[in-house]
Amino acid sequence: MSDTSNTLFAGSDLAVRSDLVEAHERAWAAIAAPGTWLNGEQRVAVAAEIRHARECAQCERIKAALSPNAVPGMHESLGKLGAAQVELVHRVVGDPGRLSEKWSQTVLARGLSEGEYVEIVGLIAMVMMLDTCMRALGLPERALPAPKDGEATRYRPAGARKKAAWLPLVEPEDATEADGPMYPNPKAGYIYRGLSLVPQSLRDYWSLANCHYMPGEFVYQFDKSIRAIRRPQVEIIAARVSALHQCVY
Amino acid sequence: MLRESMQTEGKQVDVRGVTQGFDSDPDIPHAAALIDFTEAVVLRDAMRTEAARKTLRAVLGEAGFVDACAVVAAFHGFVRIADAIGIPYTTAARGSDLPELREQAGINEFYRVRGER
Repeated sequence: MSDTSNTLFAGSDLAVRSDLVEAHERAWAAIAAPGTWLNGEQRVAVAAEIRHARECAQCERIKAALSPNAVPGMHESLGKLGAAQVELVHRVVGDPGRLSEKWSQTVLARGLSEGEYVEIVGLIAMVMMLDTCMRALGLPERALPAPKDGEATRYRPAGARKKAAWLPLVEPEDATEADGPMYPNPKAGYIYRGLSLVPQSLRDYWSLANCHYMPGEFVYQFDKSIRAIRRPQVEIIAARVSALHQCVY
Repeated sequence: MLRESMQTEGKQVDVRGVTQGFDSDPDIPHAAALIDFTEAVVLRDAMRTEAARKTLRAVLGEAGFVDACAVVAAFHGFVRIADAIGIPYTTAARGSDLPELREQAGINEFYRVRGER
């Protein structure tokens, strides 16, 4: 089990390990800050749309349909994002198990860059994790942060290639010093590489995810649990969440 | 990962249970409470979540309950990265999820696999 002290989320009397609370603080600060392709205001607008998407009637119709890509109608959006961004946010939030490469290409063809796509996916993954954690704990969602001023860096890794996935990835052997730290080891799994087209999103995401699941170095140490529940208990939760989302990975 | 972690404890698990429900106790402490809580959170069923939360907190204690919540949350992020970026599923668990395991678990009926057949 990890050796961490306990603290509280604001407004709660439940003792929570302090690394988890700190990870949430860091994550919200990162969401509000200028990113790689989106500025702080755009990133917070994406976070707001992520929350809004959960109540979208069009998303419900898509989820209920046998063919998710043949449902006429428009998403109910907050109006701060472009149509391609809204489609990306709503489909990834509401029905992620029924996305396809063809669908991802249509989203990109509507004017979204690959970097924006990946940065938005990183934001979705972070906000879903943050909000789900609070809901599971029985605590209220945190208010969205105020965006921070500044410009997006518009950094694209030189080693990014479209090969194994629908979007370009930076394989560990192609990462450069300019990308900044990305991988805990050269054998980092594909789930770790998913956001590598936007290295800052990858770092922000894993800084949060490692505190919820476990850091990479422990993932294949099945005889050891750094958490207060046993490893099979961790994995039965993981497997059930994935299955309910129809996630093959 | 579930299968590997069970094997490390010298146990077997029927992986079909992950997609189709477990016919019998999967021999994981408090499995029923963990699954009930997980499903309630994923399905956003507030009343079921509240009841399941109470049960889970009672059997796991505070630290265990917090970690269960953290893992449920973590996989709401992982699945979205995997599915939106189109990570090749054949690389899951470092490629140890063999086709026959996917068949056995019922994963081959998922949309993405069916779409690639």
